[in-house]
Amino acid sequence: MDLSNNSSKGKLIASGLIPFLFLILLMAYIFGPGAELLDFGVILPEITIEKVDFIDSEIQATVRNTGHMPVEIVMADINDRIQPAAVEPDGFLERFETTLVRIPFEWNEAEPYTIGITVEDGTRFEKEIEAATPALEPSLDLTIFFAVIGTYVGIIPVMIGLLWLPFIKRINKQKYHFFLALTVGLLLFLAIDSIEEAVEVSDENLASSFNGTLLVATVTILSFLGLYYIGNKLVEKAGSSKFTKPVAIALMISIGIGLHNFGEGLAIGAALGMGSIAFSTFLIVGFALHNTTEGIAIAAPMSRGKLMIGKLAAMGLIAGSPAIFGAWIGGFVYSPFTSVIFLAVGAGAIFQVIVVIMKWIQEENDQNLSTIAVVSGIAVGMLVMYLTSILV
Amino acid sequence: MRIGRSTVMILLISLVVGFSIIAVFPTFSDAQSESKTFVTHSGAVVQTSGKIIDPLYAVSTVEFDPMEYLRDFNYGDVSQLSDGTVLREFTIIAEDDKIMEVSPGVFYNVWTFNGTVPGPTIRATEGDLLRIHFINNGSKEHTMHFHGIHPAGMDGVFEPVGGNGGQFVYEFEAGPVGVHPYHCHVMPLEEHIVHGLYGVFIVDPKEKRPPADEMVMVLNGLDTDFDTENNFYAANTIPFYYQHHPIQINTDELIRVYVVNMVEFDPINNLHLHGNLYKYYPTGTDLVPSFYTDMITLSQTERGIMEFEYKYPGKYLFHAHKVEFSEKGWVGIFLVNNSTEKDTVELDYGS
Repeated sequence: MDLSNNSSKGKLIASGLIPFLFLILLMAYIFGPGAELLDFGVILPEITIEKVDFIDSEIQATVRNTGHMPVEIVMADINDRIQPAAVEPDGFLERFETTLVRIPFEWNEAEPYTIGITVEDGTRFEKEIEAATPALEPSLDLTIFFAVIGTYVGIIPVMIGLLWLPFIKRINKQKYHFFLALTVGLLLFLAIDSIEEAVEVSDENLASSFNGTLLVATVTILSFLGLYYIGNKLVEKAGSSKFTKPVAIALMISIGIGLHNFGEGLAIGAALGMGSIAFSTFLIVGFALHNTTEGIAIAAPMSRGKLMIGKLAAMGLIAGSPAIFGAWIGGFVYSPFTSVIFLAVGAGAIFQVIVVIMKWIQEENDQNLSTIAVVSGIAVGMLVMYLTSILV
Repeated sequence: MRIGRSTVMILLISLVVGFSIIAVFPTFSDAQSESKTFVTHSGAVVQTSGKIIDPLYAVSTVEFDPMEYLRDFNYGDVSQLSDGTVLREFTIIAEDDKIMEVSPGVFYNVWTFNGTVPGPTIRATEGDLLRIHFINNGSKEHTMHFHGIHPAGMDGVFEPVGGNGGQFVYEFEAGPVGVHPYHCHVMPLEEHIVHGLYGVFIVDPKEKRPPADEMVMVLNGLDTDFDTENNFYAANTIPFYYQHHPIQINTDELIRVYVVNMVEFDPINNLHLHGNLYKYYPTGTDLVPSFYTDMITLSQTERGIMEFEYKYPGKYLFHAHKVEFSEKGWVGIFLVNNSTEKDTVELDYGS
């Protein structure tokens, strides 16, 4: 009320700033005169071998300082046998800094190796590799190969799924809601799957200092919030622009699924890159079957507008083609951190789509979500996904 | 209000993106352009713009000189008692706070007798009286326990010597003939041994062994990360040292090596000599060799004397044939030079 006069405005600003002043004082005390207070306990060095590449007569380890103090890398070993090595650019690592350790070694394909790195106080850190496989060199052949796989896994199944559109178009409202709910079930499964995968990758490859699970949670929620905001804007404008509401929703679904498929592409590319070829074949067949259901998710909202083949195909591409980019990145420049981020972003995107579809069903269904069509749709969606996921 | 919301969103998104970029692209610090080369174990020459980390080829800056230790025998301050017995007095100081560079770049807290691992080689002739003034300047209790024959009160087990200047005088007659270890015997024993509180005690026979180029090799290990597994193995503490600095010997000259195995954690160690066989005297207690072989297996504190002569000049490896140990540092080279004339150094005991 009395914000209008100057003195109270000054009070407002002061009351906002005073806590900050105390915070600054606290910091100054801890780093200044109070430093001795915190000078207890033992700080131990910690490094993480994030990545191991097998190239011609050489094993390369990317090492990150993930501890609370600077470290120096002084020795490398393979299978606990000391090897002369080089560290580029140098062995001295500040917190979070990375370096490349090059260990010349005549490795044998498909054999397991343990890479060990010793720091200056004699502590040794190691990473086990199940089977040595040559690092993939980016080449035209390989690029095309990954594109074909990405198409086979991403684009084609999604397009096949879209072919259910005429069928969904002919069914009554109740059955239509069943299919929308089915989509929700499918997406819910995909989101949980993405989160599980992200947590797994971070547990296996990222140092504990990254707080893997919280990183996944934070990125998922930020991605959800960001897309929710943008999505609502898109739907608000839907009436005025050339987009109709079903198209806007379908577009959001395809973006969400696209992000998810990017993560799947990463997984496939990385599996190929790490040489688990047999595993990868299963992965590809599994994903292809699995992703057909994603086409249904896009087709369901689109079935209520005019039939727009062009838009439908574009959405299939948006949803499917990221698998190709994912495969390229996963195969050529795999980084566990990137994978975690993309998987989490994908999960957030899918949660956003779920919320949008649920809202839409609710509006269409007179604010009622507890119909048999909706409940059974979600349940069947989850089950279908679970059963097809066993194939992966 | 609307601007505020979208600004926050943009801020959040750019935070996520920025964080991802920072973490995804490794922050390689100021790259050096200078190119160096190093040689791998299989002989390949590799170029690098970075730093070479190699316990074998890097210029050694280690404080402890294994080459000096190799042929360093301590006979003590010699005097004669009224009955004609030779008295040898030694002063041994224990410490446990020294941080030593044990391999290039690797720093380890060594516990030492007279500042080194192994401690000084104590040498006497059978029947001499030994008087060892032991001073414990460490922070923990330490003792000196000699393998050999001595009264119970001189065993260094039930007489712990307190830290920060505690003293004890060990006095006993040197015997039996042979090569023996001495080490601290305070519990936890394994900890006191693996940190370096051990050394070699040689008792020469009265009739003396034939003249030879004599050396001491303590086979030891270093568990630098305290996981009860050795990270390094060596002859005389510094891994790969004698491979980088070959031990120079002459053809047709008798070489006598006093070998003591002080490796902990691993049940056995061994010594294999290339291009030759050696006469082996277990524990050195007998003047007649028991074996003529190129491979002897040693358990904890098992020791003996090896004697051999090289016929052909050149480089010969000696190493643990438990190859894991040799690949972690327990490997060396004898560089055998052609001795044109017989110029064997006459070694005199007890000087």
